Amino acid sequence: METVLSIQGLTKNFGKLCAVNSINLEVKRGQVFGMLGPNGSGKTTTLGMLMGVVNPTAGSFSWFGQPPTHQLRKKIGAVLEHPIFYPYLSGQKNLELMAMIKEAPVSNIPKVLELVELADRKNDKYKTYSLGMKQRLAIASALLNDPIVLILDEPTNGLDPMGIAEIREIIKRIASDGKTIILASHLLDEVQKVCSHFAILRKGTLVHSGPVDDVGKGEEKVEVIAFHDDIALLLERFDGTISVKKEDQQFVVKMKEGFHSQDLNRYLFEKGIVATHLLTQKKSLEKQFLEILAEAEHAALIKN
Amino acid sequence: MLHLLKIDLKKLIDYRTFWIICGLYFFTLILGAASGMEFLKWLGRTIEGFGQNININRIPLYHFPDIWQNLAWSAGLLKLGIAIMVVISITNEFTYRTIRQNVIDGLSREQFLISKMLTNLLLSAVSMVLVFLIAVVTGLIYSPVFDYPYGFTGIAFYPAYFLEVFAFLSFALMLGVLLQRSGLTIVLLLNSYLIELIIKENIDNYIPGVVPFFPLESIMNLVPLPFARYAFQEIRDYVTFGSIAIALVWTFLFNYFAYLKLKKSDI
Ligand SMILES: Nc1ncnc2c1ncn2[C@@H]1O[C@H](COP(=O)(O)OP(=O)(O)O)[C@@H](O)[C@H]1O
Ligand SMILES: [Mg+2]
Repeated sequence: METVLSIQGLTKNFGKLCAVNSINLEVKRGQVFGMLGPNGSGKTTTLGMLMGVVNPTAGSFSWFGQPPTHQLRKKIGAVLEHPIFYPYLSGQKNLELMAMIKEAPVSNIPKVLELVELADRKNDKYKTYSLGMKQRLAIASALLNDPIVLILDEPTNGLDPMGIAEIREIIKRIASDGKTIILASHLLDEVQKVCSHFAILRKGTLVHSGPVDDVGKGEEKVEVIAFHDDIALLLERFDGTISVKKEDQQFVVKMKEGFHSQDLNRYLFEKGIVATHLLTQKKSLEKQFLEILAEAEHAALIKN
Repeated sequence: MLHLLKIDLKKLIDYRTFWIICGLYFFTLILGAASGMEFLKWLGRTIEGFGQNININRIPLYHFPDIWQNLAWSAGLLKLGIAIMVVISITNEFTYRTIRQNVIDGLSREQFLISKMLTNLLLSAVSMVLVFLIAVVTGLIYSPVFDYPYGFTGIAFYPAYFLEVFAFLSFALMLGVLLQRSGLTIVLLLNSYLIELIIKENIDNYIPGVVPFFPLESIMNLVPLPFARYAFQEIRDYVTFGSIAIALVWTFLFNYFAYLKLKKSDI
């Protein structure tokens, strides 16, 4: 798969503070890549270096296999941290200005405004917009030049639940167009909901990176409720079973790798049992995130 | 190049403050030019009241060729108005953080600076043309005669005036880039003459002859004060190569310092 972004040893020090510590990372075409980390872990700083506004202390990166230039940035749509626009200009004029900078066709403006549902407010001054509208205009501006890569930094920060849902819907829609998206967020469930891959930053250090699907893999657990006398025994005998545990009235079956709930369901059905409840317990990203952070914390403690 | 100029103009064209300051600047320019004659008349009447008589027509304030230098020098005072506009334009980019977004969107830092410099060039050129036109009109109104080529003496002050404005706007731009806050920059811009004056006055004893090389001094020297000639004093009524050279070097340095600062800072 084509590499969109490749980072080698990227480092940024602010005086004594090491905000980003020798990060290595690859993002491939078509990935929705989540950068996850608590506040202050260096996400925005990393993106700032990738977009040429923060000068790296050390390390390098390449976009599309080429060393970064301002010309390449025109094909990347990025909003870092907060939407930034000229407050005294209307949404439309702001986008016109941006189109000039990005050398994007002006005819794209109505399209992107439509996409984020701002067309009817486009002639109002930016400073009169609500926070949600500002965030949506930012996404519109990032999409202006039909970017190959979209970079969003905490795109739902400060929004109400409805605004959050709207923005996520927009991101999913863009992702389904096959665009590569890099999404920085401190919200786990945001990354889990929209990302295909993710990396975890902690105090400027990359502590994990991999596909989101991995998280559910390995030991899948399936909850089963079925009214049959020998149910416990039957579950034990299933080929994919590692162990069975009884919790209240339900059984939790720990599955071997490669076995899924539908296999168990089929097995039970063949035995003439119809389960009244059959549910895969996904190991949540949150659990794994906390585990990884705890591991990193532990490793850091040992090192010092 | 033209593209970069258009980008910066796009930011200004819908900015009300820009038009208010430009409007005030040009309005004051025209009003100043028109009121000079009235001032002379008033002066004549007042002196008459003390029992003396001066013929104001003997003071050829608005006559060719005096008008060229007189007006170029007077207009030079008002360049502070456009400089404040330039400060607002650049410091806005820092307070709104739009410079950051401009760079994210694909302008290089050099291009960003060049777009501002191009606007400075345009403002200087428009200002020069306008002052020139006012000089022509008032000269035609008040001059009894126009003898060629004597009437054109001192017209070289217009390119010099252009450089004077551009050099000063470059200074304002540099201060804006260095300080990034509008209030602070404007205060320093206003005080820079006083600061330079204090240094000039004190340094002259130690290093004689260094004064003309001071930045603001060199900008002022481009078009020297003409009015002393009406008190029968000797004035310099021509542009000197040395003054142009010094001002050009400072103009280059102002823009270069701004470039260095932009280049190495995180924005
Ligand atoms: N311009 C700056 N000067 C000094 N410190 C900074 C600057 N920008 C960010 N930092 C520091 O770098 C660290 C990482 O910040 P940031 O990249 O914004 O984290 P995140 O986006 O993950 O919340 C923080 O400790 C922050 O205080
Ligand atoms: Mg951040």
